Amino acid sequence: MNLFDYLSDPANWQGEAGIGYLLLQHLGYTAAAVVIACVIAIPLGILIGHTGRGSFLLIGLGNAARAIPSLGLLVLIVLLLGTGNGPIVGVLAVLALPPILTSTAAGIRGADRDAVHAARALGMSGSQVIRQVEWPLALPLVISGVRSATLQVVATATIAAYSSGTGLGRLLISGNANRNYSQMFAGALIVALLAIVLDVALGALAWLTARRRHAPNKTVGAALAVST
Amino acid sequence: MRIKSSIFGACLGIAASLLTACGANNDPLAESSAQPSGAASSSAAEVVVGSADFTESKILAEIYSQALKAKGVQSSTKLGIGSREIYIKALQDRSISVVPEYTGNLLLNFDANATATTAEEVEEALPEALPSGLKVLKPSAAVDQDVYVVTKDYSAENGITSLDDLKKIAAGATLGGPPELEERAYGPAGLEKIYGAKFKAFKPYPKYPPKISDLDANKIQVATFFTTDAVISEKGYVQLEDPQSMILPQNVVPLVREEVASNATAASALDGVQALLTTEDLVALNRKVDSERQDPNQVAAEWLANKGLA
Repeated sequence: MNLFDYLSDPANWQGEAGIGYLLLQHLGYTAAAVVIACVIAIPLGILIGHTGRGSFLLIGLGNAARAIPSLGLLVLIVLLLGTGNGPIVGVLAVLALPPILTSTAAGIRGADRDAVHAARALGMSGSQVIRQVEWPLALPLVISGVRSATLQVVATATIAAYSSGTGLGRLLISGNANRNYSQMFAGALIVALLAIVLDVALGALAWLTARRRHAPNKTVGAALAVST
Repeated sequence: MRIKSSIFGACLGIAASLLTACGANNDPLAESSAQPSGAASSSAAEVVVGSADFTESKILAEIYSQALKAKGVQSSTKLGIGSREIYIKALQDRSISVVPEYTGNLLLNFDANATATTAEEVEEALPEALPSGLKVLKPSAAVDQDVYVVTKDYSAENGITSLDDLKKIAAGATLGGPPELEERAYGPAGLEKIYGAKFKAFKPYPKYPPKISDLDANKIQVATFFTTDAVISEKGYVQLEDPQSMILPQNVVPLVREEVASNATAASALDGVQALLTTEDLVALNRKVDSERQDPNQVAAEWLANKGLA
């Protein structure tokens, strides 16, 4: 049997169980989960990083959340709420939260103290400091958090197939049950490629923002000039 | 530095002992597969009973294994191996030597074009269809068949009581079942060929709970279960009739390696179970494990004690 049999048969790319549809579903789960995690984790991370309060709680919660078994959580939520896209996205968002939260808090906290003090000395309000000094400085770290969260989510989204056969995990589960190894191979290969593509794309985004950081930024530059 | 090197040494030590432990675990397996014919002296070789990944198969495997032990045959279990495609391979490579099976599907697995339809015909055709090295013992009277069901409400609204009725609703309906159903002869392909029902989609469910909740929520309209599943009567699902006998009779039968079949003690222990097992027993055993959350191990021991086999 050729491992590429399943991939090369055009019939396997069409329809509701076809690779194209499963791929879209998989991407949809990943995007929704990461966006939801960002919406929750970034503001929270900024708050914690800016005030310096609650970092103990953050570390504790972050580590605890990393220990949650995603498959177990998915089965639990499906039993309580029934199947559907909601439980799957929810479980994946839980997985994506800790890396984004910790990297945002660390980025804000680690923003150049001299720049922050200078901005304060200029009379900037707390929110101005966040928006004009801390956030731009933290951005590369925030993006790296989103990047690692995305990588985890896109790989873990295969468990969605466990509840009702959606996403690229379906190729793995059906292939395993039917001993159709070229189908399993197709699933594994596509998930791996998807993870690489997304990582490279987010890596490029991080590189772009890091480059922009070196370009002169009026506010920070002025603040630094005053402080020295 | 000294601390570091001693930690490193300790790690090495642990790794080494793990490695040797693995090796030690492998040895008995290697021995038993190296000298299968020398195992005729009943208790010399361990009989490993495997099972598929659903409740009844696990209970039956426990019953077989405990019945073997009661007759002095060394035995252990490997439960929940997976679908038929996988545990047949395990039998052939000697990782297991007994697995509870069902006559009709076992026949179809090795002979997709089998023409047998009655229980007797299936029993007759089965031994010839098996690959060399594998044997079946006596089929029991206990039957557990795949069955297509719909909810009571859905059946009443759409007038569906038989697989023949499915063609009325199939085009807009989704079928749910275990992932392997998709490729089985009595799966979507059989429904289309024999009953003219081509479903809009097939959804694979590796586990029961999501399938049950989706069927109740009308996310899927038709699902397959086993006739002995306690959930069918608990939820009042309507079992669809099969006028064309698309699903073959499925009597419980132990599929064994030939070493086990030629071992008189082992074969008689398993035949003893086969002779006393009934369909009602299967339903009751399944309910004890699935609904009352008892341990398959204990449920099997109780059954054997009640029947005077252990």
